[in-house]
Amino acid sequence: MKVLELDQISYTYPGGTQALDSVSFTVEQGQSVAILGSNGAGKSTLLDLLLGWNKARGISLFGKELTEYGRKELGRNLALVPQSEHYNFSFTLLEYTLFGRSPYLSQMGTPTEEDAAIAVEALGEVGLEAYQDRPITSLSGGEHQLLLLARAIAQQSRILLLDEPTSALDPANRMRVISILKNLFEKGKTLLFTTHDANLAYELATHVAMLKKGRLLCYGPKEETVTSEMLTTLYGIPLKVGSIEGRTLIY
Amino acid sequence: MNAAPFYRVEQKRRGIRLSLLLVATIALSVLFLFAGRYPKPGFTFPSDWTDPMVNTIVLQVRLPRILLALLAGAMLSASGFTFQMLFSNPLVEPGFLGVSQGSAFGAALMIVLGTGSSVLVQLSATFFGLTALLASYLLSKRFRFGGALLRLVLSGIAVSAIYSSALGVVKIVAEPTKDLQDITFWMMGGLWNATWNQIFSILSIVVACLVILFCYRWKLNLLSLQEKTSFSVGLNPKRDRLILLIVATVGTTLTISITGLIGWVGLITPHLGRKLFGSDSSYSFPASMILGSLFLLLCDTIGRTLLPTEIPIGLLTSFLGAFVFIIILSLKHQEGKA
Repeated sequence: MKVLELDQISYTYPGGTQALDSVSFTVEQGQSVAILGSNGAGKSTLLDLLLGWNKARGISLFGKELTEYGRKELGRNLALVPQSEHYNFSFTLLEYTLFGRSPYLSQMGTPTEEDAAIAVEALGEVGLEAYQDRPITSLSGGEHQLLLLARAIAQQSRILLLDEPTSALDPANRMRVISILKNLFEKGKTLLFTTHDANLAYELATHVAMLKKGRLLCYGPKEETVTSEMLTTLYGIPLKVGSIEGRTLIY
Repeated sequence: MNAAPFYRVEQKRRGIRLSLLLVATIALSVLFLFAGRYPKPGFTFPSDWTDPMVNTIVLQVRLPRILLALLAGAMLSASGFTFQMLFSNPLVEPGFLGVSQGSAFGAALMIVLGTGSSVLVQLSATFFGLTALLASYLLSKRFRFGGALLRLVLSGIAVSAIYSSALGVVKIVAEPTKDLQDITFWMMGGLWNATWNQIFSILSIVVACLVILFCYRWKLNLLSLQEKTSFSVGLNPKRDRLILLIVATVGTTLTISITGLIGWVGLITPHLGRKLFGSDSSYSFPASMILGSLFLLLCDTIGRTLLPTEIPIGLLTSFLGAFVFIIILSLKHQEGKA
């Protein structure tokens, strides 16, 4: 089943800079896709378009044009894990996770006990359920990222969009986030994440879309796309794909 | 499925506390109906009811006044709360963004133009309050100094200053025996001229504003996050923000067009609300509304009973409010990093 189809997507910012130039690829059910590229390649722009935050023609989600989705309907299909979140109020972890239930509530509604149970379960998936009544302002950087993930899990969407999910994490938290994401993927969620880290792309994705200066360099299964030649072209510096103790490593 | 016992217990506890607060506020309102300086300072006892004057004072003076205190307190606190969530900043209220000075100018202008129509005063106060909000907001986008928050506060200061100097000009040309007095008393804030007519003139719109804000209480949480996040969970943050800003500003300016400038309520009571009921606005928002009512009720009752002459309520709220503000900001676990 086609989850997401991009047909000749171009995007120019109001200021006049063209960020994306006719990017096309298709994401099928059961794929995890890395959008790989260096800073300024157009990864975030693409993510914003997929989220519907910025509008472009030619994106269809489950066969329906993205712009035809209602706000809540889209929220039930797509969840975002942003790179970071600022909060100036000390919500508890559970209260914050409950925000992910918003697409399921009526216009003026507040979360029910059932929503709370779903949120607690989502906190459980990232290992934070013991801290559900703690204020979010007390979290460390790693826990903070896990909480953003929990909120997105509580949204129960079929697709998870992640913006640089591990770029700000130490190795232990990075591994933790990767294993949670792998687990979600195995449960049938479609993952789409931006990254400039080829190792993360190889570890977590089934398919890789490489972006360079707003153009799609290549798209396909990671075994075919993540090659020394491609990566060297993508980043403009010599890179090699090798293997250490059975693990693929880019260096 | 996993139950959420903590959530249930906590919600219940907050619900009970909220009801207690509401009952206490209602009880005090009734009690204060019998507090005053006629026939003698202190309490008006049932034995005094033989005096027909007492009857008139309780029903035509104290009752509308108490109701206005409750209504104004709830409205000012609700808008303060809304502004704090929308700007993701626990330290703003409509007054910080020039709304109060803008509506003060609008009201003074109408008083001096002397149409004598209180509806025109209200409309003018609301209009200039809204323009001040708009000006502060747009200016802050243009400023090239400091973070988003600081820019907002700075542009609010600038807009307030412009409107208060314009107000100064209006005061100079104001007719000194009547208009100038009206303006001066209005600036200090007071509920002494509360009449049933005045209450009825703003009641429907202010109550409508309160109901709209109340219905949005949970969504206010989401609007305090980054816009992209609230968008991703299915909101339309740009539209919701605009609606709520306008509703909160209209409610505030209409209220102060009758009560005069009453500062600090919108800043202090939401803080107290969140301290007592947690940051989740589904409880702290209604709690702040009730606390706002209670705060104004107490201030007004003190103001009209303590001394033979009345103490303007705006002076009392500023005095008490500033103290509470200092205490809150000095506490260890304060909200916000701004």
